[in-house]
Amino acid sequence: MSKLKLNGVSKAYGATLALRRGDLEIAAGEVHVLMGSNGSGKSTLCKIIAGSVRPDGGEILIDGRPVTISGPQSAREQGIGIFYQELSLAGNRSVEENICLAMLPVKAGLFIDRSALKARAARYIDLFSEVSGDGFTAETLVGNLRADQRQLVEIMKALASEAPILIFDEPTSALDRAQVERFFGILRGLKRDGRGIIFISHRMDEITAIGDRVTIIRDGETIKTLNLSETDPATVIRLMVGGAGDMPASQSSAPAVANFSTGAAMTVDRLSGVGFRNVSFEVAKGEILGLGGLHGQGQSAVLRAIFGAGSITSGEIRIGSDRFDAKKPRDAIRRGCAYVSGDRGRDGVIAGRPIIENVTPIHYLRDRLMIARPSSLRQKAMPALEAMHTKFASLMHPINSLSGGNQQKVIIARWLIDRPDVLLLDDPTKGIDLSAKADLFALIRQLAADGLGILLYSSEDAELLGNANRILVFNGGSVTRELTGEDRTRYNLYQAAYEAA
Amino acid sequence: MNAVIPFLKKPLVIALLLIVALLYLGESLSPGFASADQILRLLIVASLLGIVAAGQNVVILGGREGIDLSVGGVVSLSAIIAGNVMNGADGGILPAILACLAAGAFFGLLNGLGVTLLRIPPLVMTLGMLGVLQGLLVVIRNGIPSGRAAPGLSAFVTQPLVFGIPGIIWLWIAIGLFMAFMLNRTVFGHRIYAIGSNEHAAYMAGVPVRRMRIGLFMISGMFAAIAGLCLLGYSGSSFANVGEQYMLSSIIAVVFGGTSLAGGKGGYTGTMAGAVLLVILQGILTTVNIDESGRQMVFGATLLLLMLFYGRGRAMRA
Repeated sequence: MSKLKLNGVSKAYGATLALRRGDLEIAAGEVHVLMGSNGSGKSTLCKIIAGSVRPDGGEILIDGRPVTISGPQSAREQGIGIFYQELSLAGNRSVEENICLAMLPVKAGLFIDRSALKARAARYIDLFSEVSGDGFTAETLVGNLRADQRQLVEIMKALASEAPILIFDEPTSALDRAQVERFFGILRGLKRDGRGIIFISHRMDEITAIGDRVTIIRDGETIKTLNLSETDPATVIRLMVGGAGDMPASQSSAPAVANFSTGAAMTVDRLSGVGFRNVSFEVAKGEILGLGGLHGQGQSAVLRAIFGAGSITSGEIRIGSDRFDAKKPRDAIRRGCAYVSGDRGRDGVIAGRPIIENVTPIHYLRDRLMIARPSSLRQKAMPALEAMHTKFASLMHPINSLSGGNQQKVIIARWLIDRPDVLLLDDPTKGIDLSAKADLFALIRQLAADGLGILLYSSEDAELLGNANRILVFNGGSVTRELTGEDRTRYNLYQAAYEAA
Repeated sequence: MNAVIPFLKKPLVIALLLIVALLYLGESLSPGFASADQILRLLIVASLLGIVAAGQNVVILGGREGIDLSVGGVVSLSAIIAGNVMNGADGGILPAILACLAAGAFFGLLNGLGVTLLRIPPLVMTLGMLGVLQGLLVVIRNGIPSGRAAPGLSAFVTQPLVFGIPGIIWLWIAIGLFMAFMLNRTVFGHRIYAIGSNEHAAYMAGVPVRRMRIGLFMISGMFAAIAGLCLLGYSGSSFANVGEQYMLSSIIAVVFGGTSLAGGKGGYTGTMAGAVLLVILQGILTTVNIDESGRQMVFGATLLLLMLFYGRGRAMRA
């Protein structure tokens, strides 16, 4: 009998179907791998099981009984434990307190039972005793630990739930070899105990090492479940990509031809920093260079670091032949570098202020303006906004009165008044509508044709395949593959993204 | 009709209506309260408060819990410095102005450095600075005399200058115009709103956030210093903690004028109305024989009421 079974579970956010049909069966004593590309519905499925998202339809069965999971608390009561990819630890509390946070042992109904807490936490700390590294003790504050050690605490916390069904969403992303080996040893033990484990990872070697079966999700639908021992990575990736995966990027969407003879717009040489290492590339004037791969493999970190908003530990950046190292965005902007973030609420929009003030800040800096004369600013702002086909009633209306897509157009328009030499696009179409996306990419191609060097990271593979001349695939913080010409296929992109770092 | 209601909800309009209502109330409690002479006297007092509130206003607009609790200390210190530098001689006015501005800028700089480089919350940083200034005042007072205002300064503050209106009111009007120009028509002004509204986005758009914030605290210090100098002219000689009352009342004037304590929203015109309103309220409380401690209680309660009122407004819009 299956431990956990999902029948036709679905979830829509407004008009967007995040999960069309989720069928999943987890047997007792197996590690079941979930695979799917960015936005395929994998994390929605996990959230439904963990109780943080309520499904719109379908049924969930635990040990053959239909259940309703009404929230995270209810999931815990029904025996579901989860490892959170976004760290859920309390930085100012010790390792042992964090491990027991979900169920603090209490005595006399009021006081925390220190010795019971210590004893329980020690069981899980000991599991990793030889691989947890320097400075890792039960009393250490979690905030003082390294990233890999924090991830170990997160794993211990999930294990401490002692739940019959465990979900691990990318539990190994920060761990080293020895730590992964130890963790897999523990998982094998849990299998023998008859627990059901859902495992998500983006490393093909790990998946084949620990997984028993794999379920592939594509476009919000669970496509197929396979025994990993009877299949090979190529088949799995082909299923994830779907039918047209082997076709090169279609000719109709071929990118603007780059004129490489005009020289490099920006050269990056062995750049390392927080979240990326040893990244080298050259983007020519007029070229759109795509950064691909799964979420959070260093693409954003590199772009932000180039713009002066991240940290660089070594390496060199040149614009033309001049050395370019921006300490802060202000320096980068002055030297002709532009950056558009997909997180416009955090990085872009000056909320509550008029549209005009959201278009002009870059112009203020590059023209060293002191006085803001409305009439002359209007003349500068209008062509930039029109180039983006921005819809708005008046320049004086607050930016919040616009739709998300139009807000992003305003943010991009601010870079068009004084043309930059290099444009860094960090998932710029996140959360905007299709017509705004089309406008945006038309403009990006136009800018490339005008001679800008453009770096484009997108979480939507179609945007990269349709617009980039070359694609650098990021995996674990470094570039593992470069796709050019006929090689720019969805299949190659996935394969490079999933192969071992 | 539909256009009237939002109009009546504007803070500036509310403040102006309240001013008229309070003047009427004062006149009915004590005839002569709203006479031209008396109103001019109220406006002189309001100018002093309004000048302090101009600095408070820019610090609050700059966001990140920006607030300057040290303004009262700077006002007191500036009054003492001015009194000693000019010591009753008109020739000392210009050196006194320069000395006061330098002192105000210096303590503003310290506030700004503490908030930006040491990342001390403005509330704590400026409260600590207030303590330092109060201690400093005691030390100074034990060493040197409090000094006297020059006749020229006293005349500027209390005697009619042009059209029967004293110089300080003209100065305040000039400051009002300057603030409106700065906030609406200069890059600096737009950047104040930008950092107050979304500091990170402003940083990513090349705004020198740290330097801006230090500048705002320096502006606040200098406005408080100018107010201290004028306050000396108003009272003739400085006495202990003359500026104490300005901490709370400058904040109330700013909030009354519709500037959000969260930053990024508001302006100085409303603050000017708020300053007038507070001074009239103070006048009424004095008329009905409520002493200083009672006035402070009323002021504190006013601020809390205002927060409640604006807080509710925000919640209802959301």
